[in-house]
Parts: sequence; structure tokens; C-alpha cells
Amino acid sequence: MHHSRTQAPTANELAASPFVVHALNLAWLQSQPDDPNFRHEEGGWIYLNLNTGEMTTLRATRGGQTSVNLSHPPHLTGAVVVGKFHTHPNPSWEGWEPGPSASDDIVNERDGVPDLIRADDGIYFSGPERRRGGLWGEPGFPT
Amino acid sequence: MRQTMRQTMASTILFPVGRSISSDQSLMIARTDAEAAYRDLSSYRISIALEDGVWQVDYELKESDAQGGGPHYLIDARTGQIISKRYEQ
Repeated sequence: MHHSRTQAPTANELAASPFVVHALNLAWLQSQPDDPNFRHEEGGWIYLNLNTGEMTTLRATRGGQTSVNLSHPPHLTGAVVVGKFHTHPNPSWEGWEPGPSASDDIVNERDGVPDLIRADDGIYFSGPERRRGGLWGEPGFPT
Repeated sequence: MRQTMRQTMASTILFPVGRSISSDQSLMIARTDAEAAYRDLSSYRISIALEDGVWQVDYELKESDAQGGGPHYLIDARTGQIISKRYEQ
């Protein structure tokens, strides 16, 4: 490893990264939150290049109104998954829960990386504080 | 004998007052409400349980790999009224 980072970034560090915030905001816009007939979840993965320390995001296949599948991140050479992100486009003012569902929490704990969830009232966290087991292990999820 | 009818909170579904509603009736109450919020309920598995006079109706995603959520209800088994509901996503 040529960069100085020895630990995976925390969920808070990811949420403070302009690069990640940009990816979240783009996913949010593409979720069509203002269109009740076409609102849908978008999401993807956040990678850390172990040689350069640079972060990259990849997007998952578009989700449905209330779900998205982030369980199969593509492998990037020299990089590990340090986080996931997805959107909750259904509005809290209509009675929708903006934060993580029980299913979100279960899947994120299983996958072992933090998940940043963009909703209409902010960003929520789910899963571990940072990639479980550090920057070592499998290139996808650490499990 | 004519029975008094009561309108539930969920919709215009009417049930006789004075006896408990069945599991099928509570499922109908939940589904009527859920269909107004969720565009498609075909991706959910439904579970129902009666405890302490309350029907608990939960819609869970069939796809175990996916992240998301469905509607969850507590329905008064005597009146058919929705006591609480939660729209997960």
C-alpha cells in the first residue's frame, strides 16, 4: 500500500467527502423524488484504491420504489469496497420512514460496510461504523 | 337482525361491530391501505399474527439480497381500526 491510510474511512468521513456527497446527490436526483409515479431507489458502492488512496463510486442497477440490490459489488483491481449508498425517495411528509429499514440494517451488518442513505431530510447511516476488518480481506465486501 | 356497521380508518371497508375481525379481514384492511402508498406489492411476502387483541401485518421483501422495506400494521382485532402503520423503504 503506497498511501498513508491504514484504516477504512468511517461513515462520517464518507459523508463529509465532497466526492461521496456528489455521488449521493446525483443518485438522489436520478431517483425522481418529485414524481410519485416514478420514484425509485438508486444506489451503489464506494471503493478505496489501496495504491493511491483515491475513492471511486460505481452505481448499481436501478431499484424499485422501495428497494435496491447492493449485494453484488463489481470487483475493481487494487480497490476494496469501503461503503455503500442508496436513496429513500419516498417523502417523509407523506408518512414514509426516511431512515434505514430493518432489512437495510440486517443486510448492511451482513455485508460489513457502512451504508449512507440519502432521504428528503438528510443522510442516514446504517451498518458498521467502518469496513469491518480494515482494508484487508476480500476486494468486495469483507465477509 | 341488522348489524351496526363501522367504517375503519383505512378505507371504506365495513365490518360488523361486536365481534372480532378475521385474519382475512385484517389482511384486506392492510392491503387496501398499502396499495395507496406502494405502487406494487408483488415483491413482498406477507405475515400476520394475532397477539393481545391486535393483528400484526407485515410486508417483507421476498428478495433476501435486496435492501428495502414494506408496510407494517397493527390493527385492532375488535374494531378493525389501524392502530399504527409504518411505511418502510
